[in-house]
Amino acid sequence: MRGWGGARRSGVMAAAAEESGWRRVGFVGAGRMAEAIAQGLIQAGKVEAEHVLASAPSDRNLCRFRAMGCQTTHSNLEVLHSCSLVFFATKPHILPAVLVEVAPAVTAEHILVSVAAGVSLSTLEKLLPPMARVLRVSPNLPCIVQEGAMVMARGCCAGSYEAQLLRSLLEACGQCEEVPEAQVDVHTGLSGSGVAFVCAFSEALAEGAIKMGMPSGLAHRIAAQTLLGTAKVLLQKGQHPAQLRTDVCTPGGTTIYGLHVLEQGGLRATAMSAVEAATCRARELSRNPSPVVAQVPSVLQALQGEGALAHREHSSVARS
Amino acid sequence: MAAAAEESGWRRVGFVGAGRMAEAIAQGLIQAGKVEAEHVLASAPSDRNLCRFRAMGCQTTHSNLEVLHSCSLVFFATKPHILPAVLVEVAPAVTAEHILVSVAAGVSLSTLEKEGAMVMARGCCAGSYEAQLLRSLLEACGQCEEVPEAQVDVHTGLSGSGVAFVCAFSEALAEGAIKMGMPSGLAHRIAAQTLLGTAKVLLQKGQHPAQLRTDVCTPGGTTIYGLHVLEQGGLRATAMSAVEAATCRARELSRNPSPVVAQVPSVLQALQGEGALAHREHSSVARS
Repeated sequence: MRGWGGARRSGVMAAAAEESGWRRVGFVGAGRMAEAIAQGLIQAGKVEAEHVLASAPSDRNLCRFRAMGCQTTHSNLEVLHSCSLVFFATKPHILPAVLVEVAPAVTAEHILVSVAAGVSLSTLEKLLPPMARVLRVSPNLPCIVQEGAMVMARGCCAGSYEAQLLRSLLEACGQCEEVPEAQVDVHTGLSGSGVAFVCAFSEALAEGAIKMGMPSGLAHRIAAQTLLGTAKVLLQKGQHPAQLRTDVCTPGGTTIYGLHVLEQGGLRATAMSAVEAATCRARELSRNPSPVVAQVPSVLQALQGEGALAHREHSSVARS
Repeated sequence: MAAAAEESGWRRVGFVGAGRMAEAIAQGLIQAGKVEAEHVLASAPSDRNLCRFRAMGCQTTHSNLEVLHSCSLVFFATKPHILPAVLVEVAPAVTAEHILVSVAAGVSLSTLEKEGAMVMARGCCAGSYEAQLLRSLLEACGQCEEVPEAQVDVHTGLSGSGVAFVCAFSEALAEGAIKMGMPSGLAHRIAAQTLLGTAKVLLQKGQHPAQLRTDVCTPGGTTIYGLHVLEQGGLRATAMSAVEAATCRARELSRNPSPVVAQVPSVLQALQGEGALAHREHSSVARS
């Protein structure tokens, strides 16, 4: 079956393959992160554009999905009905309400992936039916150029099969590792927010060069290229950055003069504190989800009473 | 070019000095097919570095003069402070057909990974032909732009030394994550991947970094909290000052070269008197 990369075939997959919705990947929410992931999956050939369905309240973002060749809709429920793998990529504060809305359509065959920062697995599971297979991913923007840094954590009903499936898909967008959920917020602070920290650093280096007489376009390009090349050396050689830093310091040369200034300016402490602050904010957001979540138990009871959740009693399909 | 191609030395590229920088450039040129390994000749005083050149399939020697005699394009990749003495040594062998390239400063170590950032400036006798030839060769190693010589020192400060600045930043970001509970190997990998990915977005989309920074800030979200800390810590001023300090040091080093250079005029006169520089009078080969 095209589109699932290295995923193992199981009884579920073969049976599910016959269902019309199986090959489709859905996105609830169509902002930059949804677009980045969709683009990565399509460009790496993991899924065909016409098998991607995205939903959003307005056309503002959906036009970009259509431009990629994807299907679009204004109905979140349609995404759940048509797709077995669904990414939830709304802004964190509206995700709970969206989950309440789509919960009636969730079955045990679905694989549901949240990419919303600061929304914990327990929050997600509280809002969804008990057998829902839920995973949480912390992506970052460079997924849009297939160089993302992502981590994922699985919910209680998601096993190694789902994790492996998701990982093999997301490798289309960059690096993806599985971690215990406690580390997802740290990743948000380091790598999600880290994109902005790196931008700030790149801009500052360029401005130093501009002060010394380099034209600004060239300075920005060279700063970014220096970032890219250095990062590539670190990743490919697996060297500790302190070792590489030492390797490029000629005694009495230009580099050690500059490094001294960085130390005097407390670069290390500042950068550490930035990651710490972003991580703490992510944890804060996890602990204090939107007020909708507090109301969920009573909402679910009301829906159940009206029989809207009857199909949750479906027997779960055996998994390998 | 066609006439020169028939000369035995034409296709050979020489390196005087065989350290990391020479190795990086040679590797880039060979891997991109710009030159064959057996047409590369490198010289160094000892075998310490030359064994790596031989491992790539290159020729090696202990004689700098042999490099000048055999190769038309010669990279000088010695440490900056010994370059003047080396140039004095090989000057008798230099002809108008040679293209001589000094890489003593201004070439980023990340050339090793073919993602280098380089600038070059030409001397008074090097025209657009030489610049274009050099640029097309060095694009095997990364980005290469031509600039007025006054900017070469700024480039050293930004991109040569910048490698170390980026390492320091990557390490610091990783340590912040380690403090918050992430295992250190994962933290270092993710920090480096974040650097790489962000840089790629900046280069491919051509966006101003301030615009991208704004794009990723959700109101009240994690990113703006972290950015505030960076501002409070004066990241911008510190990084600007680092580039400034490295650039100023590069300029200082340019103004105060090793004592050997001051003696060069008298050395050259002595050599000229002995007729060793007669072939400098060769007529220059017509260029397209």
